[in-house]
Amino acid sequence: MSIEIRNVSKNFGSFSALHNVSLDVPSGELVALLGPSGCGKTTLLRIIAGLETPDSGSIGFYGEEATTRGVRERQVGFVFQHYALFRHMTVFENVAFGLRVRPKKTRPAEEEIRRRVHELLDLVQLDWLSDRYPPQLSGGQRQRIALARALAVEPKVLLLDEPFGALDAKVRKDLRRWLRRLHDELHITSVFVTHDQEEALEVADRIVVLNQGKIEQTGTPVEVYDNPATPFVFKFLGNVNVFHSRIHEGIARIGDMSIAAPGHDDAENLSALAYVRPHDVEVQREAEGASFSARIQDIHAIGPVVRLELQHLEDPDFIEVELQRERFTALGLVRGDTVYIKPRNLRLFPN
Amino acid sequence: MAKISTKHNNVLPGFTPALGFTVFYLSLIVLIPLSAAFLKTTLLTWDQFWHTVTAPRVLASYRLSFGAALIGAGINAVFGLLTAWVLTRYTFPGKKIVDALVDLPFALPTAVAGIALTAIYAPNGWMGSILEPHGIKVAFTPLGVVVALTFIGLPFVVRTVQPVLEDLEAEAEEAAASLGANRWQTFTRVILPAIGPALLTGFALAFARAVGEYGSVIFIAGNMPMISEITPLLIITKLEQYDYAGATALAVVMLVISFVLLLGINGLQWWASHRHTKGFILKEKAA
Repeated sequence: MSIEIRNVSKNFGSFSALHNVSLDVPSGELVALLGPSGCGKTTLLRIIAGLETPDSGSIGFYGEEATTRGVRERQVGFVFQHYALFRHMTVFENVAFGLRVRPKKTRPAEEEIRRRVHELLDLVQLDWLSDRYPPQLSGGQRQRIALARALAVEPKVLLLDEPFGALDAKVRKDLRRWLRRLHDELHITSVFVTHDQEEALEVADRIVVLNQGKIEQTGTPVEVYDNPATPFVFKFLGNVNVFHSRIHEGIARIGDMSIAAPGHDDAENLSALAYVRPHDVEVQREAEGASFSARIQDIHAIGPVVRLELQHLEDPDFIEVELQRERFTALGLVRGDTVYIKPRNLRLFPN
Repeated sequence: MAKISTKHNNVLPGFTPALGFTVFYLSLIVLIPLSAAFLKTTLLTWDQFWHTVTAPRVLASYRLSFGAALIGAGINAVFGLLTAWVLTRYTFPGKKIVDALVDLPFALPTAVAGIALTAIYAPNGWMGSILEPHGIKVAFTPLGVVVALTFIGLPFVVRTVQPVLEDLEAEAEEAAASLGANRWQTFTRVILPAIGPALLTGFALAFARAVGEYGSVIFIAGNMPMISEITPLLIITKLEQYDYAGATALAVVMLVISFVLLLGINGLQWWASHRHTKGFILKEKAA
């Protein structure tokens, strides 16, 4: 493990930002802290960096206690959402900063600094901008320079606070792929904060889902997406339909539909919520097996996936369904049609 | 051929009348009185003018006026920055009162300030009686002039630096710390360059005010010719002797020196704030 977080709590006044959080970040992994705003993810990152001190608990780096070490001694690279570049320095000087402020005896010679900075600028593919000032760069370029600057001090750990949060959608997508490739090259233990589930699922080796100062689930993107531990994770990682249901002796009932509920054999009329992803709902013309009827309210037929908004006949709730275009065409659906829907993959969370 | 209007459509109307009025107003308030000074000076021949403005007593007064103003503005640049820093970065009881105190030299009639300072720094005053035994004379010496000019210049530095410090990104400082910079390095390499232009503006304002200061200085200076006499006092003296042309000759010299100095400071400030922003934002190069 390269980062060990043990029972960390942090309050801001009466607001509890982190509550007894423990987490291990394995060496060389790229870990995403994912959660809605105010869930404590940035606070946790800042505590790891030493920019914030925890009220209780401890932080260790490579088995060494680091809680009392300040940000200067932790050897972390920190990348800020709004870049935090030094406006009055050239790109070159920004990247060289961490080397130049070293004490005389560990400071590399000017020639070595020059070589290292150009190497890093090459790595972020912006060597041609070394004489420019930050205000002359675009957002994506600034963030890459900020990353080069953080890497210049050869940090043990790289921490990124919503690194793509201030960029527009296109640049954000390019940059996160680029970050993934960069991480595959450098294998530096990295933690990044994001509120964008797509970003976390695409980039990270491991995702830590946070909610209200607590960890909801930790796992690989596939694990957390396919097997959400809590209703919160289910809802946060993508669109979801929620049905009220009752579980009785291993059978869950949603409306008139009965579905096997393994693991709930002893349940006695237990109230539960059933979660289904929009792409896990099958649409049929005819009633067949466990299904219920709904009317098509709206069709968004753009791209390979067609999104339907359905209205349950008894329930006021909308049901969202995603269909492959071929399937949609084959069914010949139009607005106002009544269809039968059947959840393929359903998760039950008792209330 | 259709005539295409080359005029820009501005959201705010009335640019032309506003510009016209501004030029008229500035002429009326600033330019005409100043050119009157120049005109009045022309009553003197070149030799008379040169003789008046280079008399030993006058030269001594320039040295004191500009020298003391520069020293006062310099002291204010350092301690005004410190005051602004404390007022923006820390909370302490009575902060609002301290904040208000900074403006006092603005509001106080300068004569009152002069009398108060003289009373305190006179050999029998509170401070004077402490400093005198150590051989430090403040009142009625050039040092007293520096004290008075420092007093009146303080708010200029504090009030120009304060908003810039408030707007300073805390993140840049955190970034510097995470890169291993200690506090002194963070201050000199990150904070100081960012507030430099504002600090220069504050310095220039404090300096300009100090050069023109009259009321608070004449009480504490003692006004000994060749030692503690400021140029504005010489102008007044000449006016009292009905030597109007001589007075305006000194005024013109002060005006020219002040103008050149301020132009220089403004140029420096412009350079400091614009060297990083010229140019254009480059297109994102495909990665």
